[in-house]
Amino acid sequence: MRGIKLRGGCFGTIIGVLALAVVGALPAGADETCNSPYMGNLIKGQEDYLYVWVLGVKGMGDGSDKLVTLDVNPASSRYGKVIHKVSVRGRGEAHHMGFTDDRRHLWAGGLDSSRISVFDVGSDPARPKLVQTIADMPIKTGYVGPHTFYAMPGRMLVQGLSNTKDGGGMTGMALYSNKGELIATYPMPATAGGDGYGYDVAINPQKNVLLTSSFTGRKNYMRALGDLVKDAEAMKRFGNTMVVWDLKAMKSKKVLSVPGAPLEIRWSLKDGDSWAITATALTSKLWLVKPDASGEWQAKEVGVIGDPAKILLPVDISINKDGSGLWVNTFMDGKTRYFDLSNPEQPRQTYERVTGKQVNMISQSWDGTRVYIASSLLANWDKGGADDEQFVRGFGWDGKELKPAFEIDFYKEKLGRAHHMKLGSKAMKAAYGLERTATLR
Amino acid sequence: MDSSAPPRSAEPRLGRIIALLAAVAALVTAAGTGPVEAHEPDDRLPAAVTMDFVPPLPGSYPLHAIMRAPDGPVLDLDGRRLPLSRFTAGKITLLGFIYTSCADARGCPLAYQVFHTVRHRVSEDPELRHRVRLVSLSFDPARDTPAVMRHYAAAAPRNGVEWVFLTTEMPRTLVPILDGFGQDVRVELDSRARPAGPLAHVLKVFLLDERAIVREIYTTAYLFPEVILNDIKTLRLLDGGQRRVIP
Repeated sequence: MRGIKLRGGCFGTIIGVLALAVVGALPAGADETCNSPYMGNLIKGQEDYLYVWVLGVKGMGDGSDKLVTLDVNPASSRYGKVIHKVSVRGRGEAHHMGFTDDRRHLWAGGLDSSRISVFDVGSDPARPKLVQTIADMPIKTGYVGPHTFYAMPGRMLVQGLSNTKDGGGMTGMALYSNKGELIATYPMPATAGGDGYGYDVAINPQKNVLLTSSFTGRKNYMRALGDLVKDAEAMKRFGNTMVVWDLKAMKSKKVLSVPGAPLEIRWSLKDGDSWAITATALTSKLWLVKPDASGEWQAKEVGVIGDPAKILLPVDISINKDGSGLWVNTFMDGKTRYFDLSNPEQPRQTYERVTGKQVNMISQSWDGTRVYIASSLLANWDKGGADDEQFVRGFGWDGKELKPAFEIDFYKEKLGRAHHMKLGSKAMKAAYGLERTATLR
Repeated sequence: MDSSAPPRSAEPRLGRIIALLAAVAALVTAAGTGPVEAHEPDDRLPAAVTMDFVPPLPGSYPLHAIMRAPDGPVLDLDGRRLPLSRFTAGKITLLGFIYTSCADARGCPLAYQVFHTVRHRVSEDPELRHRVRLVSLSFDPARDTPAVMRHYAAAAPRNGVEWVFLTTEMPRTLVPILDGFGQDVRVELDSRARPAGPLAHVLKVFLLDERAIVREIYTTAYLFPEVILNDIKTLRLLDGGQRRVIP
């Protein structure tokens, strides 16, 4: 195995320790087919913009986290170029983002700072503006590390990763109004099999089900990966559960045992389907969550991702609009894999390609013909040296082959580490523009 | 409503609803403007979203205060200029934005159908009949004049439950209300960034308590009469000093 350099250690050592540790994880999150079911105005045609939430790097540009806008419309003269950037003037471990239900605003979180930056992407989709910063989430909720931003009608559900008391994995969800006012908090269940950890959230409205997954706390995710994996006690502190919630009541109904840090959750969008799929980071497995014949929700392992013994660290996943296929990125080997989900009980890998020296996020267009990949996982978990590529790469997908379309080197552009991506369109603009302007005056 | 009833029992008068929808369609045609506006296309959702769960019992869950309903001048069916707050406080209020020319089955007609179902069920409950109000407010003041709204309202015969139809004088008075509720309205642009095509919006229905505080927001993916009725009963229980679960 190559001696891939990681911060705090070397990859060969890490693999050995991980293989012994049997627990662990990594973050990730996704795209147009993976948005909240409450979100309006999905982009069904050609997207114009790709919003990239970027971790600042000390000494690079202004060193701050920033929202970078790429032009991704092949018909544009600026195709494949950076066309805008908004710095939040601070470095706080930029991680994930989520649109509000009306797609007018994009909420973006910092896992270290626990600050939430709210960008207006509705007024001028080509030039997002930072319009609000929510900095008091830790004080008001006791939770830190705002990870997933999930649109609910007129509200935003924010999943924390950790807490203010001990920086461990016990955490909860915070519900905000779209105006940024805290409405309620919901601790992750720590009894009846629950470990109290959180990571992703995903809703099936017709089943009245909220599904959550679990990762690890701030002490772990802010630590250099090479050091972390040598700490056997720390490696025990990763999530091994998913939780089925009564959405309307926001009460946990059942804790599902899903060992190995289940991360991203994707519901099938196909009419009549009522299953969700997730990937476990440390154990490299695909798990299916669905009701059994009696209607009881169950989780079961349905497939492996690569060779689980190699600890490839599956990170982001992206499901097709009809639930027929799933993209899976594995960070360590830099591969992007496609699984046929014709039978979700038996996912079958049909394609793979190395798309970078390290890959994390993957987003696809609604029709699945365009795929975008970004490189960064966490500042202290990204690889080192020449393996620390930081990029966004666009690909075309014809069902057989990922074909490179464009690439932007985020280090060369002095931007930082490219993380979460969301699609944008100039086709829709707020109505009554003049009247809105007049009102604001 | 019998909260223990099966979840798919939302259509007590299917024939009546069909007739009402037909009346709406007739109004659209009669208006002569055609479907000049449309809700967002969303092929993930069927025309009528199905509900595959039994909702939790009224009073068994909280309905948090989300925001205060905005105020602003509106026009009633007689063209009188009145504050919206007159129609958002004092009763539990179900409020939705509509436009009379909308013909998207997943948009205003769906909301109209749900409003009718809820109103009918409320009318059968003496505890709720005089404590609940429905409000349909147009967000197309250019076309939906008080006269047009009066014509539209005629399809909703009186049944003892207040249903108010309102419009505004102009976009300038409408926009603060839209923004206050967080109700988006968008317009498609052509390749030269000029307005082209219909307006679009995310269908939202707001449940307000008697103090005009928004306590729940429903969209197409969660617009179920059973849930709305349970929420109305929950508000009565939570805010009426009767903190118990209806059996």
